[in-house]
Amino acid sequence: MNIENTKAQMKKGVLEFCILSVLSSGDQYPSEIIEKMKEAKLIVVEGTLYPLLMRLKNDGLLSYRWEESLSGPPRKYYKLTPVGKQYLKELKTTWTELVNAVNKTIEKK
Amino acid sequence: MNKTITMNLGGIIFHIEEDAYDKLNKYLSTIKGYFKDSEGRDEIMTDIESRIAEMLQEKVSSAKQAVLLSDVESVIAIMGKPEDFAGEGDGSESKINTESSSEENKFSYPNNKRRRVFRDEDNKILGGVCAGISNYFDFDPLWIRAAFAISFFAFGSGFLLYLILWIIIPKAKTTAEKLEMHGEKVDVNNIGKAVNEEFEDFKKRMNDFGDKAKSPETKEKIRTTAQKATEFLGDVFHNMIKVVGKIVAFLLVFIGIALMVGLLATIFGRGTISVFNSPTSNIHFSIYEFSSAVFPADLPVVLVIIALILFFGVPLLSLIYAGIRHLFGIKQKNKIVKYTANSLWLIGLGLVIYIGFQIGNDFSEEATVKQKIEITQPTSQVLYLDLKPMPDDDIDLTYHRKRHNINIGDWTMISKDNNKFSIGYPMMDIVRSETDSFQIVIVKTANGYDKKEAVYHAKNIEYSIAQKDSTIFFNSFFDIMNADKLRAQDVKIIVKVPLNKVIYLSKRMEKVIYNIHNLEDAIDYDMVNRRWIMAEEELRCIDCNGLVTIRKHKIDTTIPTPPIAPVPAEVKK
Repeated sequence: MNIENTKAQMKKGVLEFCILSVLSSGDQYPSEIIEKMKEAKLIVVEGTLYPLLMRLKNDGLLSYRWEESLSGPPRKYYKLTPVGKQYLKELKTTWTELVNAVNKTIEKK
Repeated sequence: MNKTITMNLGGIIFHIEEDAYDKLNKYLSTIKGYFKDSEGRDEIMTDIESRIAEMLQEKVSSAKQAVLLSDVESVIAIMGKPEDFAGEGDGSESKINTESSSEENKFSYPNNKRRRVFRDEDNKILGGVCAGISNYFDFDPLWIRAAFAISFFAFGSGFLLYLILWIIIPKAKTTAEKLEMHGEKVDVNNIGKAVNEEFEDFKKRMNDFGDKAKSPETKEKIRTTAQKATEFLGDVFHNMIKVVGKIVAFLLVFIGIALMVGLLATIFGRGTISVFNSPTSNIHFSIYEFSSAVFPADLPVVLVIIALILFFGVPLLSLIYAGIRHLFGIKQKNKIVKYTANSLWLIGLGLVIYIGFQIGNDFSEEATVKQKIEITQPTSQVLYLDLKPMPDDDIDLTYHRKRHNINIGDWTMISKDNNKFSIGYPMMDIVRSETDSFQIVIVKTANGYDKKEAVYHAKNIEYSIAQKDSTIFFNSFFDIMNADKLRAQDVKIIVKVPLNKVIYLSKRMEKVIYNIHNLEDAIDYDMVNRRWIMAEEELRCIDCNGLVTIRKHKIDTTIPTPPIAPVPAEVKK
């Protein structure tokens, strides 16, 4: 077993959940999502986000629209689809259960 | 001072320094390479590009207009190494493995478009074939055009090859294809380099594998490395097979063209069929002359030529076609060409069968015409047999004549005063006469479409004999009358000798006599220059003293002797 690998796997599992959560507060474009993720130290490099967004979009959880920007190229604003919202809801439940379960395990020792 | 490049990234124009541009370009290519299997690659790329554009835009201002290398580096640091995010979802590729050493390899790889051959219609003179080939090999098209122009005169083979190439090499239609046309150079060095790189990479992987095997690693990891090693070995073999395949393809094209030229030369050239048993010299005649001598009159020679070209030419062209396709890695299939070739060959096959049937038909009946020649009986007991002197008597042709095995008869064609005519060689047998006088019978045989035809052909054989005192002069060959077709014409001379009469065979007779039965079992060579007396059933030698090849039991006459001619003799010695 490789410790780095395990860590990466653990992070990967929650990344999707986090992106969906960030978007639940409103439409955002990648740079904004990245800011928030970085703050939470969930993402180290920005490149990670793009394939993830692509996958979520292809799975029908996200949609996007183009918006002109004053300072640069047009931006892609991502938005949760109804399916995405449902998905997020379920993930949240699972997450709460999981955190509880994990915490219990750790506390018991 | 540095040179800058104008670059359009995500729809925004940047002035970027050359080294910075190179770095960025490589970076983007690498990412592209990592996502090559993903569905939404282009979309991801667009997103990443616009993000980078956004970040770079923050770094330039009216005071600092150009993008510098340091800017690009900081952007890359933010975006992260492609290997850090590309393998999203499948965790099998560990981060530790893909570090800086392999990074360099991967940076350069997606840029090299394999070069492919296309017809270059932008620089064409006829079909753009030469221009395309010169693009592929980096020659000046002038040389290739010159080579083609010259080979136009080699029985048109250059023209044919040009047409084939025109058909198989696709036209460079899209910009991508035009780029591929000038892509990375393909030559022996290049292939060698590729194989070498693969091998180095393999060595590295094997070392990695060894290190890992030593350290406490999971079984899974070893398995994946082993799998990679197998995959890699597969790659190496694949490459080797590819190289060998190219060589084979080249040979195919080369051999195909050589055979094609040979075929055309044989069909259209003069004097391409050689006969080595002519009485005068080795003679040569063309397919045309041969066909007109053998094939039925109602079968046009042109048909024969078409049949030959289709039957042998189409497979050769297919060979060249396949070779070229493989050599240049042309994938496009041309069904029209395939079906045309197949049907042309079938037509050729049909013609060959038809012609064969026609010829066979013309040989279906055999006829024999016997002709008794009146001779004056010799005054003495001895009849001398000799050949009419020929200018080429000093050439020893007996060997060829007696052994050669041409099914359409014992014949050859000679050329005299620019007229070609056919001749054949007679054979002589000597048997006992039923009467008490010498007799000579000429047996002429020939084949034909029916009995009448065969008799006609047999009667058309001309053979003459002359007599002077006690000597008979035979012709060493018979004529097949000029206009007549070759129809297995043959002449047999039967000399009938009465009991106890003597004949003398001159040295020259060796050419004509063939397995004559005699009590001494002497071979033809030993029979000449000697006198022979007719015994009860066969000849006996009078002056054969000292001859080693004679039969040991010649005194014992009670031993049954083999039956005499016309049954073909058993082989002596």
